[in-house]
Amino acid sequence: MTYLSKTMILVAGLALAACTNPDRFEDQAGSGAGGFGAGAGAGSVSDPTSPAYFQQAIGDRVLFAVDQSTLSPAAQATLDGQAGWLMTNRDFTAVIEGHADEQGTREYNLALGARRANAVQEYLVSRGVAGNRLRAVSYGKERPIEICSNESCYAKNRRAVTVLAAGPGS
Amino acid sequence: MNTGQIISGAGHLALIGWALFGGAFRSDPPPFEVVEAMAISAEDYAAILAASTAPEAVASIDTPAPPAPGENAPALASGADTAPAQSQPAANAAPPPDPVPSPPEPVSAPAEVADTAPEVAPPAEDMAAVVPQVSPRPQPRPAPRVAPEPVAPSEPDVRVDDVARPEVAPDAGAVVEETPQEATAPEEAATEIVTEAERPRDPAPTASPRPRARPAAARPAPAPTPAPPTETATAPRPETPRDTPPATDRSAVSDALAAALGQGTPTPERPAGPPLTAGEKDALRVAVQRCWNVGSLSSEALATTVVVTVRMFETSKPDISSIRMLSHSGGSATAAQQAYEAARRAIIRCGNDGFSLPPEKFGQWRDIEMTFNPERMRIK
Amino acid sequence: MMRSLLTLLAALMIWAVPAMAQQGGPLRLEITEGVIEPMPVAVPDFVADTPAAQELARNIARVIAADLTGTGLFREIPAAAHISRITSFESPVQFSDWRAINAQALVTGAVNVDGAGRVVVRFRIHDVFAGQELGQGQQLVGDRDGWRRIAHKVADQVYARITGEGGYFDSRVVFVSESGPKDQRAKRLAIMDYDGANVQFLTDASSIVIAPRFSPTGDRVLYTSYETGFPRIYLLDVTSMGRRALPTLEGTMAFAPRFSPDGRTVLYSLSQGGNTDLYSMDILSGASTRLTTAPSIETAPSYSPDGRQIVFESDRSGTPQLYVMDAGGGEARRISFGAGRYGTPVWSPRGDLVAFTKQSKGRFHIGVMRVDGSEERLLTASFLDEGPTWAPNGRVIMFTRETQGAQGEARLYSVDITGRNLRQVPTPGGASDPSWGPLQN
Repeated sequence: MTYLSKTMILVAGLALAACTNPDRFEDQAGSGAGGFGAGAGAGSVSDPTSPAYFQQAIGDRVLFAVDQSTLSPAAQATLDGQAGWLMTNRDFTAVIEGHADEQGTREYNLALGARRANAVQEYLVSRGVAGNRLRAVSYGKERPIEICSNESCYAKNRRAVTVLAAGPGS
Repeated sequence: MNTGQIISGAGHLALIGWALFGGAFRSDPPPFEVVEAMAISAEDYAAILAASTAPEAVASIDTPAPPAPGENAPALASGADTAPAQSQPAANAAPPPDPVPSPPEPVSAPAEVADTAPEVAPPAEDMAAVVPQVSPRPQPRPAPRVAPEPVAPSEPDVRVDDVARPEVAPDAGAVVEETPQEATAPEEAATEIVTEAERPRDPAPTASPRPRARPAAARPAPAPTPAPPTETATAPRPETPRDTPPATDRSAVSDALAAALGQGTPTPERPAGPPLTAGEKDALRVAVQRCWNVGSLSSEALATTVVVTVRMFETSKPDISSIRMLSHSGGSATAAQQAYEAARRAIIRCGNDGFSLPPEKFGQWRDIEMTFNPERMRIK
Repeated sequence: MMRSLLTLLAALMIWAVPAMAQQGGPLRLEITEGVIEPMPVAVPDFVADTPAAQELARNIARVIAADLTGTGLFREIPAAAHISRITSFESPVQFSDWRAINAQALVTGAVNVDGAGRVVVRFRIHDVFAGQELGQGQQLVGDRDGWRRIAHKVADQVYARITGEGGYFDSRVVFVSESGPKDQRAKRLAIMDYDGANVQFLTDASSIVIAPRFSPTGDRVLYTSYETGFPRIYLLDVTSMGRRALPTLEGTMAFAPRFSPDGRTVLYSLSQGGNTDLYSMDILSGASTRLTTAPSIETAPSYSPDGRQIVFESDRSGTPQLYVMDAGGGEARRISFGAGRYGTPVWSPRGDLVAFTKQSKGRFHIGVMRVDGSEERLLTASFLDEGPTWAPNGRVIMFTRETQGAQGEARLYSVDITGRNLRQVPTPGGASDPSWGPLQN
């Protein structure tokens, strides 16, 4: 092959590579973050500094037992991972959303969600994350992710989700 | 070669051959049955034990109609539930006080073990129980009207009226003149208000059956006393929350006695032998009761007792203009007015066709003083 | 001899006694049992004084009849069964005609629309069996657009006169109108007449709003909104639609707001560091006071009608239960003792009862109990009932009922305090978190 054809093929290949959509993981990140906080641009899962990695590889949520806000060992392990990531990637802040299942009255569940979010926040702080990077909010039973009315769905709704936001952290 | 070598060689060959090819002949061991063993609490275990010995327990309980043990179990276990909400998973989803954190799946296994009823396994805080040997007791059926005697729903085309009258149609060839009458029947009634919270939802009993009183004449003891004794939802009277069912039964028995004797509460006694027999007085009382509608009274009026006087005509109809309130107690003047009007309506409505009082004793019942005491009607 | 004399005396006495009894007072009888049934009432179309008022006259009578039957205490005898008709408001009533159809009460009226478009309604209440009028005839005046309110006022008078209870028909309810699937519920604040008519939306669906509360004078609404991304309390003026957020601390969540009976204080919950406690805030100055300091959840408070006490929900004992304390804070006394979890307590406007939500054995109930916790009675049972609110007369309770499963929807229901007459309140779609306003004047 001539030198010219080789170069042209090479250049064409490079040009096509530029056509990848840098946002192709965006939707995934958006829905994963629940769409409430300012979701950070997700990036790719394989990039350990991306929110997508945080959500999928490390795990952005922990689950709770009925009526409880104590962190199980599994939850603590996940949060250890979260803390580690947050300490490494200091550009992000996070809003911790606490939720409850529908088996309770509206205002009590709001308070219960707040307890759960706070439990996660305190744990992350105890693992070294700066307190001013974290904020807790509770949605009570207003935003379930599973809507069947039995324990298999309830278990998934009793959660605290750490939602990343790009922003000046320290 | 000698025998020893032959035997040794053969043995070695056999061993090698078995090692190489023996696997082909070995059959699989019988499949391992894995039964999920779940740690259950002591109460559950006791319940399972109790369930298996249940038949004897039933025989010793004096219930009006003890069904054959286990006979009802299949029916109840199949969940002749009124509401789908009572399906297993939902019941198990409720936060159980069960000390053992049980994931959803293994819970069904104890249900197979306790073959009498599936309800045995889940949170058994009040369970010593005897599982469905007690057939559902007759519940007061929710009806729009509450009256001392329950009344079955009448035929659809029968007009509702206070008195039951058979249909009387003039016979084509009859000589005797009969006034055509529409069939009327009293409106369907229950003996007490059945709130949604009290309606039987779950045929499987959640409390051990206590010895039941014989259903009193007008007041069948509300049956599966589902709530623990601290709830007063089914108590016929406002009792303290800790009242136990035996107390209810006692009062039901005394109610039955009272109803049988025909007195609500003992009236101030005259010396024996009043000219009007107890039966006649009772007939008058019942006649007025039927029309005494306290359903549209305020709560305050329901706490007010009024004494009303009325003068009667010889035809045993009341003289409407003579109806007066003599006194009242327990409420304000407005509430008394309301209560008085309800009482007056009762006298007028049921007196419309005359009370059936004996004309020869007219002197005895020319002036009547009635005390309307709604205390027992307050929360029925 | 003596003995026979004595026997003779005894015999005489026995004879004499009945003789004495004959001359005694009236026959005395005690009636302790009655019936509880809806009172049959007839509400024939009102008489139209002018042809223009014809339709109005019929509609007003219909609304009155619907109000009365909606209480469960009355049963309307339909027009088809009436024997005679009311053609003139002034002519005497032929009571025998109404007795014949078993009406116990009769409401007659007349409607006139004057030149200025104002509506004049006159009405009378009759006790059919006694054959006389109950109370005095009355006259109400209002403008044409508010004709439903006039009808409700007439119904209130009829209801009050016959039952002795205060009326509650001329009132409004503020609630949350819901739409969409369970995991993406759109919620909007709305207000309507107590019977479901005249629905008006107060917010759009752009952010979650929950648990609104009407002020005691019916002019303002407090509610919780997520429009900033965090739960905050907002105060809305219903007439001007103006609103403002109540001051709050950074990093906290504020919710569950209630008005005090004098309308000047807001009682609410503040969640800080995972702990939720009760606070009160002066509306004008914004100064707030902390009322509870327990590490447990304290929320869903409610003032007593005299404003001196507060009933609230707390899980300090391990599960949510009801407690009463002085309005200024201090020691709290537990009042719920049944097996189960208690929440959303609401003090009756009569001051005698507390309505609440109870969860037990996987079901939800609306119930009432006396203020000291005794005489607990459950009125409803279902998959999910919660959030009771009292009618202005303290006799009827409205609440939210949600059905289960992915298709579950929330609706409003009302029930009489005796547990009778459970019925759905018509709303345009799903609805939750009702708050019943006062009788309007």
